[in-house]
Amino acid sequence: MGRMASGAIYALSAAMGILAFASPFLTAAQTGTALSGAKAALAMMALIGLSLVALLIEMQGRSLDARTVALLGVLVATTSVLRFVEVILPMPGGFSPVFVPIILAGYVFGARFGFLMGAFTLLVSAMITGGVGPWLPYQMYAAGWVGMTAGWLGRAGGGNRAMAARSLAPRHLILLAVFSFAWGFLYGAIMNVYFWPYAVGSAEQSWAAGIGFAEMLSRYAAFYAVTSLGWDLLRAIGNVVLILLLASPTVRVLQRFRQRFHFAVQAAHD
Amino acid sequence: MIDVRVWLLWALTALVAASSTRNPLYIVLLLLVVALVGVFWAPAHRRLPLAPLRFALVAVPLAAAFSGLTAHLGDTVLFCLPPWLPLLGGAVTLESLVAGTINGLTLTVIWGAFAVLNQVAAVHELVRLAPRAFRDAGLVLSIALTYLPQTSRSLARIREAQAVRGHRLRGPRDWLPILIPLLISGLERSTGLSEAMVARGYGAVSDRPQPLPARGLLALGLFLLLGGWMTWLFVPRWAAGALAAMIAGGGLVGAVVWWGGRSVQRTTYRVHRWGWRDVGVMLGCSLLLLLVLLPLGGQRTLAYNPYPLLAAPPFDPLVGLGLLGLLAPAAAAPGPRRPAA
Repeated sequence: MGRMASGAIYALSAAMGILAFASPFLTAAQTGTALSGAKAALAMMALIGLSLVALLIEMQGRSLDARTVALLGVLVATTSVLRFVEVILPMPGGFSPVFVPIILAGYVFGARFGFLMGAFTLLVSAMITGGVGPWLPYQMYAAGWVGMTAGWLGRAGGGNRAMAARSLAPRHLILLAVFSFAWGFLYGAIMNVYFWPYAVGSAEQSWAAGIGFAEMLSRYAAFYAVTSLGWDLLRAIGNVVLILLLASPTVRVLQRFRQRFHFAVQAAHD
Repeated sequence: MIDVRVWLLWALTALVAASSTRNPLYIVLLLLVVALVGVFWAPAHRRLPLAPLRFALVAVPLAAAFSGLTAHLGDTVLFCLPPWLPLLGGAVTLESLVAGTINGLTLTVIWGAFAVLNQVAAVHELVRLAPRAFRDAGLVLSIALTYLPQTSRSLARIREAQAVRGHRLRGPRDWLPILIPLLISGLERSTGLSEAMVARGYGAVSDRPQPLPARGLLALGLFLLLGGWMTWLFVPRWAAGALAAMIAGGGLVGAVVWWGGRSVQRTTYRVHRWGWRDVGVMLGCSLLLLLVLLPLGGQRTLAYNPYPLLAAPPFDPLVGLGLLGLLAPAAAAPGPRRPAA
């Protein structure tokens, strides 16, 4: 019963997050939608916030023991320092060093840890760099997804056995590089969606009700190409460079601590 | 001093106001109000609102250029770009430049309001805003914020130590001997911290999952929110029922948060007592929200469209007066400190 409730909370929260980001595309397929303009943006923000609240309550209730809390707090602090460095020394385009630690933490410690690492890193770094604003819930959600999907990648890529080796096999390194390259674009594409319907631009790049799903995708692609592609390309390239440089030693260090932290005491059988 | 929750309400009110209007006169008025509040609450050594000014100097020209180059609408043609240029080719009009400028100014108002919030609210006050049910999440935040200065010092120490050994930062690869020791020292600290937490009995209570009824209610709340939202999006004629479902869902999630926080004790070293400043700012924000959200007379002047031909935007004095409600924190700002005799 408990597992069912937990699964339902995860599934419903994920559905709400996806719907929030995808609602401009879905509502574009029809006319006469009840939500429009600023009210839609505020309603979306409230719903994203509530689904994040529900997800955090469920996650902290199930898995945050003292070791996880301490590890998460310290890793978030370390990653937030990198964000601080990024604010002081502006990086080219959308390049940011915070995504690679989130990806690697999710890859080693699993999807739940990865989600929390992503969400908290963006929250803490926003607090210390003066970046608290209406965009923050969306950033937390999107960065949480980066960490969560990295956890799935770790599982799919052979899990602990693959990481227990002295260094990451080239196959896993390439997998991580491709993954981080893709998220370089995806993060920007996801973050654009929440304000795109309210941005005023040319008709070929603007949201409009009742134009159909395919036309909406084509308009969004044009908007993304003009406003964000170059910016996100630098983020994607930066992610790949950092993964190729840092992934192998970082995963080795994190895996060693994972083995120290997560051990189970088993009763001896006669 | 003003309570941090009142500051949050003020920033959200500015967000609602800026998102609800496209009228450049109101947006400029909002911008002036936000800048004034920022000036009145800035530290004595930094009176000029330089950060919002810097943001405006980047955001407004960028938004205007983007709109001017990509939106080929409007009657007042300034010049034409060759049609073979993909997406950019066509007439650049005065109206599209104005539309972009309005976008940039709106962004500046929102950014400026939250810059004021970040300036006046201490980080520990923001953390305290988290409901008590988020005890573990709040703890993670507190640990991260507490360890930030230590991590920065560690970074500086490791850089110095490596520099003494002759290490120089020439390219990305040279960061490896700095970042890996930084990571290892952080992980070692987390081991010590978790052992100290367990020794003080932390793990004894935090391993408990949420009670099943609470999780069931949480799932039901999310279901109602999601169902209500989808109904609102796709079946507009059932909007009233959808709204009721969303309110019920939000209420259930709120109830679970309250329920989860009942057993958590929070102590306060210095209690903030509400005073006339808090009440005054709340009244100012309420006045503005009433004028912007309720269908009163001047609400139609909030809308403005520069297309197809640029025209002077309308101005309603009542709405203008309501927007001045956001000035309340400036009136409530503490006066300059007199030097000690």
